[in-house]
Amino acid sequence: MLFRLECKKILRSAAFLIYCVISVLFFATNYYSDCKGGVYLGEGTKIVEDHDLIMHGALNSLMGEYASNKYVCYPFGYYKAVHLKDKDQQKIEGYLKEMTGTDDKQFEELLASGEKYYLGMPDKPEYGFGDIKMTDGFSYDRFLEIMADTDDMLGGGSDYAPESLTALFSQVAMNEEELEDEYKTFIEDDKVTGGLARLFCDYNGIVLAILPVFVAAWLTANDRKRRMHELIYTRDISSAKLVLTRYAALVSTMFIPIVLEMIIALVQAVVEYKGESLDMTVMFTLPTFWLLPNLLFTTAAGVLITEVFSAPTAIFVQVIIWFKATINGSRMLSGQIGRFDLICRHNSPVDRSTFLMNQDNFIFSRIFWTVISLVLIALAVYAYDAKRGGRFNDIRLFGKDGLLRRKA
Amino acid sequence: MTSGCLARMVSSDVKHNFLIHYLAAAAVLLITPVIFGLAELDRSMAALPLETMPPLMGLILLTPLFSPEQNEGILDTVRSKKTSRQLVIGMRVLCALAVLAILIAALGGYMKYNSCEVTLGMCAGAFAGAAALGALGFFSSALTDNVIVGYMVSVMYFFMDLFLKNKLGRFCLMSMSCNIKGSKPVLAVTAVVLIAAAMLFRRVFRNEQ
Repeated sequence: MLFRLECKKILRSAAFLIYCVISVLFFATNYYSDCKGGVYLGEGTKIVEDHDLIMHGALNSLMGEYASNKYVCYPFGYYKAVHLKDKDQQKIEGYLKEMTGTDDKQFEELLASGEKYYLGMPDKPEYGFGDIKMTDGFSYDRFLEIMADTDDMLGGGSDYAPESLTALFSQVAMNEEELEDEYKTFIEDDKVTGGLARLFCDYNGIVLAILPVFVAAWLTANDRKRRMHELIYTRDISSAKLVLTRYAALVSTMFIPIVLEMIIALVQAVVEYKGESLDMTVMFTLPTFWLLPNLLFTTAAGVLITEVFSAPTAIFVQVIIWFKATINGSRMLSGQIGRFDLICRHNSPVDRSTFLMNQDNFIFSRIFWTVISLVLIALAVYAYDAKRGGRFNDIRLFGKDGLLRRKA
Repeated sequence: MTSGCLARMVSSDVKHNFLIHYLAAAAVLLITPVIFGLAELDRSMAALPLETMPPLMGLILLTPLFSPEQNEGILDTVRSKKTSRQLVIGMRVLCALAVLAILIAALGGYMKYNSCEVTLGMCAGAFAGAAALGALGFFSSALTDNVIVGYMVSVMYFFMDLFLKNKLGRFCLMSMSCNIKGSKPVLAVTAVVLIAAAMLFRRVFRNEQ
């Protein structure tokens, strides 16, 4: 009964209506338009875990950035040029000499062989290298140690972060035969919908890591706005039942547009791939496993933070979490899924092998965020119960009883 | 109303209701050098931080301007006062825009000091984008009487802008980075129209004088 009432309240709210509109708009402008006319393989690339290729690419890149003393990093997903101090430059020089097996004089010659060019600033030359070779038999483990230390010196987010090396420096172009194989895998192994479901989840994961917080914050703050607290506090219903029922109502209603989008995506696949044998269930099972943790977490965080602080604080915190989670994956749209990634990216309907390479991390991350969500909602129940019992009030910076309010 | 009384009213409003928003907008300014490199950037690279961070300041400053009276009790008290509510909201808008201009000038000045190719026109463009996004949140919250909806619309427009960019045409907030001509005047006019429409809506449909 309460569940039905809460669902009704959410379904009639402006926040939910806007949630639906934005979700559908995002789906239509990204997934639906991408998949119109079938999958385009184009000039595909693939990631090969070739250590020699990785070491060669990273060495030449580091050499160029060392020569210009301008290291391009993306610590928060945005361009940042790092200029090292002399002491750190010397350390990098030492690493480069070790990797190339050169002494001072030979290293100077190597540096002079770089191609000089200007980008942006006319008085600051940059250098490009492509033919520098690693010394024979250089250990890959030692190479990884050097790269990790270099990335630390640069403050993180550089091309030399060990977890990025494979995806950045071992991408090779696919030939026609490989492209055909890729398409065959898409049709036979993924049965079309498997690949499309991954792309569907890639786009919707972004939306579900931010949008639900608004609806959750609205519902949680509504009691305060309508001054219903006192009325509800005196009711028989337990705090756990009330908070969990509201949470369940929020998650269920907000998953409705996603289910409708799954159905539209499946119909689109059936129309576009007439005659192929499609897996009719994977468009529902994979998105549920992939996207539900995002929805659970964002909603739980929204409920808890609004309960403890306020709705704007919940929105602010979730925007920061979303921003961080999105830009983590913005440079590598597929091929890299971390164990703690809230937003898992795989922006391609093909490339099944790369996804399978990260499958363990993917499963771990989904379970991890589900568990975190359950912990957060348990904390929300506790906070609500404490407020109800008069043991806790909202934490506020300003206003009455605010932390920063000056006492008379 | 005497100017002294108006000044007291504005300072009290800022102190009790909006100081935290001003501080949050200043915090966005302070974290900009952490997220972006702000030294020796050419024109196109310098446009990126200038078009990414100020819109966030705009939505933090302008969206919640109706929030103090969202509580029905406070609204009833305010309604019983002689002071025009439209005047109060108008002063809040001006204060928010003034703080926004100061913060953008500080960001532009810092970038210029660090040898970036930043012009006054670029700062004005950043201001137009920030004001437009903030005005969108302001308008949405005025319409729905719900500041959360205001945040929702403006935050989602900002994120759609990050993803869709060129598809938004002249309404793209990142027009300098995406090389879209003639977008900033459109955004400036949009900001003015949305703020005026929100005030008019409150006057006509919410009977606020």
